[in-house]
Amino acid sequence: MDNFLDPVFLLEIFEHLIKYVPITLGLAVGTMIMSCLLALMVTILRYKKVPILGKIGDIYVLLGRALPSMILIYLAFFGIPVLLMAVSGTNKSAMLLSGIPPIAFAALGLTLHTGAYLAEIFRGALQSVNVGQTEAELSIGMTWNQAFFRIILPQAAVFATPMMANQFLNLLKGTSIAFMISVIELFGAANVLASNNNAYLEVYIVTACLYWSTSICFEKLASVLEYNLSYFKRCTSK
Amino acid sequence: MIKLENFHKSFGSTEVLKGVSIEVPTGSVTVILGPSGSGKTTLLRSINFLEPADKGTMILDDKVFDMAAASKKEILEVRRNTAMVFQNYNLFANMTALENVKEGLVLVQKMGRYEALIKAEYYLEKVGMINREHFYPVQLSGGQQQRVGIARALALNPKVILFDEPTSALDPELVGEVLEIMKKIAKEENSTMIVVTHEIGFARDVADQVIFMEGGVVVETGEPRDIIENPKEERTRKFLARFSNR
Repeated sequence: MDNFLDPVFLLEIFEHLIKYVPITLGLAVGTMIMSCLLALMVTILRYKKVPILGKIGDIYVLLGRALPSMILIYLAFFGIPVLLMAVSGTNKSAMLLSGIPPIAFAALGLTLHTGAYLAEIFRGALQSVNVGQTEAELSIGMTWNQAFFRIILPQAAVFATPMMANQFLNLLKGTSIAFMISVIELFGAANVLASNNNAYLEVYIVTACLYWSTSICFEKLASVLEYNLSYFKRCTSK
Repeated sequence: MIKLENFHKSFGSTEVLKGVSIEVPTGSVTVILGPSGSGKTTLLRSINFLEPADKGTMILDDKVFDMAAASKKEILEVRRNTAMVFQNYNLFANMTALENVKEGLVLVQKMGRYEALIKAEYYLEKVGMINREHFYPVQLSGGQQQRVGIARALALNPKVILFDEPTSALDPELVGEVLEIMKKIAKEENSTMIVVTHEIGFARDVADQVIFMEGGVVVETGEPRDIIENPKEERTRKFLARFSNR
């Protein structure tokens, strides 16, 4: 094996695969944004104990965490067209769906998965805020919305950030299963490349390095974010 | 004037308030004394619906509120006309001293930013905290935080300020500075104050009226001199005897 881990070959692999990093990143970041919105909505419904919707939120959080993310992606990708066909009774709507790229279904499935975890993270973060804060807001006659968005959320965010970063890293790696519904992202591209060239070791080493370096960037980003969000916890004046 | 009539409150099977009625004239200071578990804090917290009473009527100036059946709007109205100073200060942790005082003025009273700033600084000056206006609560001592808490309550110009054991969580050497501020505002601001405290000295020096509560009922009401120096009821006497050597 004279070309074992040949640097030139590794570089070629790297140059090919790095083109797919934006797809993985786009899928992860897009999913994260949608998950945050979904989780925030679910969290507020549960926090305020809204009748029916709050309970639906509870059930969603249970299900979303209980099901493998791959099942959620499969349900989105294969299930939704079938469901639409059954509801409308025609093939038309399902045909329309065929114009939607698989990556959108992957994002939907991953959002359902991540949203459930984030909802639990947010719930924990809200519980970390002292109940006295709420009492103080109410005592001066703030409305619930004012209190929530101005006092509770900024404080809960500091608590939630490290766990959200954790969840994001999980998601970043989790996007690799989108390959199962023919999305060619980083892992998918690596699989194709590896089997075409019969170079499994080299390709997966490069792929691992790409995931690793991307993760490091986000870890750094998260710690900067956490530092900035916790401005009121530092013992120096403004 | 604030008048509470026949307040009842139970937590599960424990009856904490068993028909409490008190009256506090405008501009006066009422101190509520009593052993722990007597229901005095619950009474205070039921006034602004932090612990809604099961039964009772409140008259705030000329408005009558049924405490058990108040609408959201009425609750908000009561809260916007009262303010509370908490045992654990409860300053908004993510805001500076100045922002804490401004918050209610801008958000609740819809005051202009500049006007709110002037007013907030006026009250921070009053409690001696103007030189710490840009400090976050975590950077302030307990006594300083409580003074900001008092400024936050005062700035809203409420019809009544509720003090819930404002010095109980403080180190002994910090109690004095907070009591001094409370004395000062009682004199200068002419605010209506209801104070739950264990500071008998404060009651004697500042209160216009002292209420002694025990077991969820008002045992004795009167001028501080009468209640503290010369209590009629045995229960009041027993309670005060514990403080006499202070």
